[in-house]
Amino acid sequence: MPFTILTGDTFLSDGTAKKILIPSSADYFVATNVTQMPLAPATGVVIRSEWFGPKFGAGATAANDGIRWKKTNSTNALLIDTFATSTASNGFTYVVTNPVVEAQAPNAITAITAASPAVVSQTNTYSDGDIIQFYGTTGMLQISGMNFQISTTSGSGYTLIGLRAAGFAAAATAGFTRRISKYLAVEPQFLYITEITKATQAVVRTSVDPTAYYVVGMKIHFSIPYSFGMIEMNQLTGTIVAVSAANYTLTVDIDSTAFTTFAFPASSASPTAQLFATLAPAGAATKRDPNTYVPTGYDFQFQPFRTGQFVPYLLLSGGAQSPAGAASDRINWIAYKLEN
Amino acid sequence: MSFPTGITNINNFAPELPVQASEDLLSTPMFNLIHSFGVDLHHAEAYIGKTTRMSRFERLSTDGGQLDGSGIDPASEVPVRTDIDATMEIYAKSIVTNEQVVLYENSKTLTKFTALLGQWVREKEDLLMRDLFASSVSYINATGGTNGDQPSNISLNDVNNIETILLNNDARTMLVSIDAMDKFSTGPTRDAFIALASTALTNDLQKVQGVILKNAYPSQEGLRPEEYCSISRFRFFVSSKGAKTPGISTLGRTVYTIPMYGLEAAAKIEQNNYTAVIGYRPPWVVSSVAQNSQLYAKFAIARAITNQNWISGLNVTTFTPS
Repeated sequence: MPFTILTGDTFLSDGTAKKILIPSSADYFVATNVTQMPLAPATGVVIRSEWFGPKFGAGATAANDGIRWKKTNSTNALLIDTFATSTASNGFTYVVTNPVVEAQAPNAITAITAASPAVVSQTNTYSDGDIIQFYGTTGMLQISGMNFQISTTSGSGYTLIGLRAAGFAAAATAGFTRRISKYLAVEPQFLYITEITKATQAVVRTSVDPTAYYVVGMKIHFSIPYSFGMIEMNQLTGTIVAVSAANYTLTVDIDSTAFTTFAFPASSASPTAQLFATLAPAGAATKRDPNTYVPTGYDFQFQPFRTGQFVPYLLLSGGAQSPAGAASDRINWIAYKLEN
Repeated sequence: MSFPTGITNINNFAPELPVQASEDLLSTPMFNLIHSFGVDLHHAEAYIGKTTRMSRFERLSTDGGQLDGSGIDPASEVPVRTDIDATMEIYAKSIVTNEQVVLYENSKTLTKFTALLGQWVREKEDLLMRDLFASSVSYINATGGTNGDQPSNISLNDVNNIETILLNNDARTMLVSIDAMDKFSTGPTRDAFIALASTALTNDLQKVQGVILKNAYPSQEGLRPEEYCSISRFRFFVSSKGAKTPGISTLGRTVYTIPMYGLEAAAKIEQNNYTAVIGYRPPWVVSSVAQNSQLYAKFAIARAITNQNWISGLNVTTFTPS
């Protein structure tokens, strides 16, 4: 059973996790940090990392693990161990099924502030732009089960642009998160709504940056349970007229001026408040100017229903001590496959 | 204990191969294929791109319209069209078989593997439609159950809430009623929408107020084996592959998603000239020494939610933790 080189490539790391799509699955994968390899970097900097697939049985790499090659501090002597041992760091995760949970151990949070935007305290290895699913929260039960995109990330916490929690009665004091895929099995995906303004063109805030999923001209359908107040918006369909990546908002052509104010239900341990407020794709209002031939409201990248997250793929964690390297590191990778 | 008798029997002279093949293979497990129930089937022409557009004209406003005799025409209205697009995608699976399998086993492997690939086509297509429902539809958390979780276990109020949503949006039922008959312990079912659930929910479905289990329908004629029960205006179909997300309820339990919909809520598009294909590549093509042959299956599919007004559903947990 010889190995076949399935595919390979190179990328310039931005310090964050990298997804490598593996169209026909892989059995062995190696990433080489060609920037750090000839240097004598600080202890812990990974210069080469290896992953062994499910065909290796008991020898297969566990989730978020793999073999890491490092150098001792400021010398060329090699140290080889696994990402999970002693000073643990993040390694490879092989994802083969949807819904896509990038198998990582649950990570405990210590607080979510009742502020706008909300700030989460948590020892973490996440990166800006990651999508985090909250569950098992103590306090702020009304967001337990929701997904949020994170920003201003540090090792001790991050900000939720999509959650303006100043109106919440109290902060969350505990809970758990796990990182999930940015894209669901099928796109466009439904999104969680965290705020809707009362305006001639309602501004809708979502828990993640909506510009990754929706563009101007697409139609969206609202599902607003009565517990969120703005029941008049429930089951309406509107056309997106503006989007904002900075504020995680969509502006729609629905006049909500006279609607009831949108507000999260109170945190409650008893499940009496219907959750969640969401929006879902409802087609598009596409147009083409017959004189200028300029189309509006159409983008092949966003509009059609299509596979969102291709599987299988290998997730290379980012950072100097992980396979995807630190910012500006050049990473070469090769995927191998056993012949049948 | 028995003394040796000198008789040659099966205890002291066992057959060389004390096994024989039964005349039939045992069944290959296959899950219930429910996720294409009631979806519209469309066809994409070949040679004109991989995106299929389905368009719908929205109804005209019924506001105003009365002529007052002044001769002034009422305001005209520009019709609104909604375009639903879907991208065609191709999926494939193959089985490569070494000649020695056929040579020594003599078990008609090509025939059996062809059947396996046929099953794969059907199962894969079902899961792709499940993923569409799970990703691109808004669901509401059940709250009427008593398990103290968010979402709760399913209740009649939750089901009725979805019926209200669909009826308020003018959704049409797609299953006809089953009239009452003079049979003990049976009850009529109303014309109904479709609900798709995980088999993990069957215990809870049985306990919902007003449930009519399938055996209590007045007639069993034409019922599918995947159907489980009727609750309010919904007929529930179950599959072990129903959509679920582990560990995200408030109490850390698995959340199950139940799509509930009426006519023309979703669509499946097949590619003309490229529907399901099962093919064979002979050994002299696959292998340089003609030792491996290959069977493959391919199919093309595009999928879309065609009307969000006519589909909704519930997120639920189970009463007993799962």
